[in-house]
Amino acid sequence: MSTLTELGTLDVLEAEAVHIIRECAAECERPVLLFSGGKDSIVLAHLATKAFTPAALPFPLMHVDTGHNFPEVIEYRDWYVQEIDERLIVASVEQSIAAGRVQDETGPRASRNRLQTTTLLDAIAEHQFDACFGGARRDEERARAKERVFSHRDMFGQWDPRNQRPEPWGIYNTKLRKGEHFRVFPLSNWTEVDIWAYIQREGLRLPSIYFAHERQVFTRDGMLMAAADFVERLPGEEVVTETVRFRTVGDATCTACTLSTASTVEQVLDETRESDVSERGASRADDRTSEAAMEDRKRGGYF
Amino acid sequence: MPVESPMLHAVAVGSVDDGKSTLIGRLLYETGHLNADEIAHVEEASRKRGRKFLDLALLTDGLRAEREQGITIDVAYRSFDANGRRILLGDAPGHEQYTRNMVTAAAGADVAILLVDAGNGLTSQTRRHLAICAMLGVEDVIACVNKIDLVSYDEGRFIELADELIAASQAVDGPRITAIPLSALEGINITQRSEKLGWYSGPTVLEVLHDLDRPIADEAFRMPVQWVTRYDEGGADVRALAGRIASGTVRVGDEVVALPGGSTSTVTAIDVLGDARDAASAPLSVALQLATDIDVSRGDVIAPVDDPPQVATRVRATIAWLDEAPLSAPARLEVRQSARLVPAIVEELHERLDLDAMRNEQADALEANDLGIATLLLAQPLVVQPYAVNREMGSMVLVDPGSNRTVGAVMVTEVLAG
Repeated sequence: MSTLTELGTLDVLEAEAVHIIRECAAECERPVLLFSGGKDSIVLAHLATKAFTPAALPFPLMHVDTGHNFPEVIEYRDWYVQEIDERLIVASVEQSIAAGRVQDETGPRASRNRLQTTTLLDAIAEHQFDACFGGARRDEERARAKERVFSHRDMFGQWDPRNQRPEPWGIYNTKLRKGEHFRVFPLSNWTEVDIWAYIQREGLRLPSIYFAHERQVFTRDGMLMAAADFVERLPGEEVVTETVRFRTVGDATCTACTLSTASTVEQVLDETRESDVSERGASRADDRTSEAAMEDRKRGGYF
Repeated sequence: MPVESPMLHAVAVGSVDDGKSTLIGRLLYETGHLNADEIAHVEEASRKRGRKFLDLALLTDGLRAEREQGITIDVAYRSFDANGRRILLGDAPGHEQYTRNMVTAAAGADVAILLVDAGNGLTSQTRRHLAICAMLGVEDVIACVNKIDLVSYDEGRFIELADELIAASQAVDGPRITAIPLSALEGINITQRSEKLGWYSGPTVLEVLHDLDRPIADEAFRMPVQWVTRYDEGGADVRALAGRIASGTVRVGDEVVALPGGSTSTVTAIDVLGDARDAASAPLSVALQLATDIDVSRGDVIAPVDDPPQVATRVRATIAWLDEAPLSAPARLEVRQSARLVPAIVEELHERLDLDAMRNEQADALEANDLGIATLLLAQPLVVQPYAVNREMGSMVLVDPGSNRTVGAVMVTEVLAG
């Protein structure tokens, strides 16, 4: 047994995240943890299991499945849920399309990224969730930097950035009206480097696409996109084979990869520390649409 | 031996146009926390607004309404490292109508970065910010005398303003002041010195952040119970009290009391997220096991038997009113403190603090952004201490049960009898 030890930044961030998770579990009636199989949601799920160990999680996980995933990630998702022996709900964009709730985009720039919002809000209503844990971090994007830890959503799932509840001293006001919900962000104050350092410290397994591998890719808007069956290419977009890895994992139609030979967590951590391009800048085509892209999607109920 | 905190909560405050956003942009840029694409965004945004230089202020102005109006409407948080120490920086807007955001950002902060325009000097808002820092218990202020380039790098002007700042802080029994002459635009004295200020031998902003003394775990042990876990361990029914240590250190073998109930027991095990320890300190999240199955539930506070906090149903407190609808007594609200929510009545409003005249005055109501002193009556006993003694036990928020809005921030000044 160890006695008092010098605390590191990760210890403090971990303690804060667990405090937020326990607070939400105690205060909200039906929380759910949004789990995509991406590294942030893996860290989040790991923190949640630690928060209640050795007891089971008091809430399920939910994946909003666009149907345009990387197969490695779905494989990982199913393995992970079995490994921690918890419940997974899958909310499917395919089903939302089939039910006529949303219309699939067509053409070379088609993406199901926007469609996820409807599927997510429908699932929240169906299961009567009043809190969704998300792995968003304030260092990801300018709109996120202004969002609270317990971020209130009205009955339409909308975020009102001008009317947020103050959280002085980390005291969270968890009161809701029926039909409203919270997005709860335990990793708010983590950075991308913190996430990788924590993955290393805790020895977490990740989907293989986070590490260097050979893949057929093409270049679009200066970013390397995976050549998948469901992505229509524009004239001149030539497919080549490169050694790449992904920094984020999302809908395959709008998630780019970077050239890399980093094949271990240590090597990725080194690369991340030295990188001069931010994670969303490197890999999220969806944020490039306009200067206010993320803000607009968040206002409408996006993650 | 107190352990030094690896993380520092800082808040940046200032009036409109004194260059706060530029300073934050500089801090992030010069510590390598701005990436190429973020800089590209600032370049493009600068061009769009007709700026002839890289306007780093555009980096933190995150929301469309702000960019259109060129203001900051809410608190933004950014993280960066000051030579190995993590700084979590809250950016509090300078507009008067958003003083509530300063309270939001500065509550819990270790240090404030306060900007003063070298040309304009101290404003009424500067004094107000210092008073709010004093009230919130922010012990240190880095007073940045910005735009020193516009007063010809004049040492005399800097000394004059530094003296005024120290006097202004003393007048409100306020924080320690470290004054630094700087130019956010030219990047002087944020992380790097310049020959233009050859007469200045003090630290840069980054050096102060790195060196600031902030010991933790020196106070009495307090832990609000967030969650009671029950599980089976080798056929035995185990009960663990999960929570985050608010202050101090707990050790196996400590005699503790669960308040407000008052039952006592002994700590038999300390679990730090799956790791068994014989001691743990704030701010760790832990789960405690006790020798006996005493009555404990969410919201109770675990404390040493020989050094317990008080239990009260009536407190005197400073209230920072945050809501558009004014507060007048008596008002029925709810108090949220650590893991407990109780109905409360604001019985009496004693005074309003006039931060401009620096005196208290009689008042019938508190408007948004007002600070006042009131007596609160609580429907159930709360475990409290004056804010000046223990921040975690002395801070609360007020919630309007009709609108569910967070309408006030509360700092207990005195624990009153029944």
